[in-house]
Amino acid sequence: MASAVVNFLNATLDWMTFASDGPSARAVVFGVHIGGHLFIEVFLLVVILFLLSQKSYKPPKRPLTNKEIDELCDEWVPEPLIPSVNKELQYEPPVLESAAGPHTIINGKEVVNFASANYLGFIGHPKLLDSCSSALAKYGVGSCGPRGFYGTIDVHLDCEARIAKFLGTPESILYSYGLSTMFSAIPAFSKKGDIIVADEGVHWGIQNGLYLSRSTVVYFKHNDMDALRETLENITSKYKKTKNLRRYIVVEAVYQNSGQIAPLDEIIKLKEKYRFRVLLDESNSLGVLGSSGRGLTEHCGVPVEKIDIITAAMGHALATEGGFCTGSTRVIDHQRLSSSGYVFSASLPPYLASAAITAIDVLEENPNLIKKLKKNIAFLRKGLSKIPGITIASNPESPIVYLRLEKSRGSVKDDLHLLENIAERVLNEESVFVVVSKRSTLDKCRLPVGIRLFVSAGHSESDLLKASESLKRVVASVLGGHN
Amino acid sequence: MAKLYVKAVPPADLNRNTDWFTYPGVWTSYILILFFSWILVLSVFGCSPGIAWTIVNLAHFAVTYDFFHWKKGTPFAEDQGIYNRLTWWEQVDNGKQLTRNRKFLTVVPLVLYLIASHTTDYQNPMFLFNTVAVIVLVVAKFPHMHKVRIFRINADK
Repeated sequence: MASAVVNFLNATLDWMTFASDGPSARAVVFGVHIGGHLFIEVFLLVVILFLLSQKSYKPPKRPLTNKEIDELCDEWVPEPLIPSVNKELQYEPPVLESAAGPHTIINGKEVVNFASANYLGFIGHPKLLDSCSSALAKYGVGSCGPRGFYGTIDVHLDCEARIAKFLGTPESILYSYGLSTMFSAIPAFSKKGDIIVADEGVHWGIQNGLYLSRSTVVYFKHNDMDALRETLENITSKYKKTKNLRRYIVVEAVYQNSGQIAPLDEIIKLKEKYRFRVLLDESNSLGVLGSSGRGLTEHCGVPVEKIDIITAAMGHALATEGGFCTGSTRVIDHQRLSSSGYVFSASLPPYLASAAITAIDVLEENPNLIKKLKKNIAFLRKGLSKIPGITIASNPESPIVYLRLEKSRGSVKDDLHLLENIAERVLNEESVFVVVSKRSTLDKCRLPVGIRLFVSAGHSESDLLKASESLKRVVASVLGGHN
Repeated sequence: MAKLYVKAVPPADLNRNTDWFTYPGVWTSYILILFFSWILVLSVFGCSPGIAWTIVNLAHFAVTYDFFHWKKGTPFAEDQGIYNRLTWWEQVDNGKQLTRNRKFLTVVPLVLYLIASHTTDYQNPMFLFNTVAVIVLVVAKFPHMHKVRIFRINADK
């Protein structure tokens, strides 16, 4: 077939060459020699003139016949709006019947609560309750508008100033929803064409921010500084000639998905060597790490101005709602117009901002709370350290005590099933409330799943002892059947 | 009566991938690029003018076939994928056929072919290369080849 085409082509070309050189083609017409070359050139000139004389038109759209329409309708299968729900993964969460303090009521029974990030025990604190009540009396329930319109109340400005003063930064900005703090702050700064190097263990709120920013996202191995250095080295050499490139490192101070603590001093060294900016999420370290609860910067002895952008949710240690971002004045002012969560959302209810101010005041007046929390963490870890089949994956100072299976069952689904079985039995038989990692279909985190215990300064030693003893019994009972 | 109202003229081309070809001076720039490419080839390779024109013609064929008739879609996210199945040639002038720009882009390969063949005195193998290049390019630009994929070559998956 191909050779036939080649032969045909060669024959055609030979004929054309022969025709242009043949003596018959060199006829003389009124003294002008007519050659084959002239023939080809005149032909192409005529083609060009013909082409130029054509009128332009829009190609008509051929309507589909009824048969074609029926075929298209028959073969059309709509993409499902949501992925199919696996019955095995359906889960009925326990329902709380009282406040989520160190003790709560589930199914009419009092249980010890390790499922709430109530690190300082501020839920139900009388000073915070008084602060909320007086703010409600003064301002009403909500602000009824975004901050840029008429949603700014003086207590918002006081709260921003108080947070900045507490953390030692020039300014801060409030968000009305803690989860949206990070996924509004990241797109406010990082755009398409910029590069973000993020830990693979970041939680979904940060992942959503990375996605919304449309930046190029590179993940590095979880809490591995060698992997981070290698990644920064590769990116720096790869984009050496690209100008106007913003480069960020996104990490969590205490990782929600593993309980690990980021080594901030090493990250700052790498940041300054490779000229990246650092975004640090301190949701689980504010009020927890450092001698006075100022977070990972105090814990690692790093000056707070070395971190370009710090965000935190206030629903953890401060026992309120919303979140904030703190940093230099330019970082904060930029978000007042560029951050979606600030510009387009109704602002934080004034009584929640008031509660945040009071929470910081109580924290500063009571440094013992942090010492109590650290002692509780150490006590619980000691009690959980020798359970066969279960290993503690979190950092010794992390308020999230993260228990992981020593040997995986082979798939996340099976692991989740087993861990949920343990958590359910611990709740029903021992009255201890713990949570298993939840991974939605949107979550890209690939770290192993486990059981999380959120330690609180409000837990007593008997609570911690009860938790460790009951987990020991139930794990031995559940895993004993499998091993 | 004098005109009382300003008439709003809709923009000629909203596609950022093709509207650059409606800018003033783009024809002149196109021709000048070809001419200076010829000068460059002459200087670099030191060959005869005919060989240089052949090289320019073949390079023009390779570049324009890839960018105008092979690549699909646009590099801009704002189009939301509306042009993902169309080559650049099918996007030009919103698909209108035999427009001035389309005629220009069809005439250029023909004129290049004439120049290259004439200056090489219609000798093989340059004649063969030039002829194949111009046939492929011109056939791809025919109005009735709009959205046609011969033997599903470069068809959508």
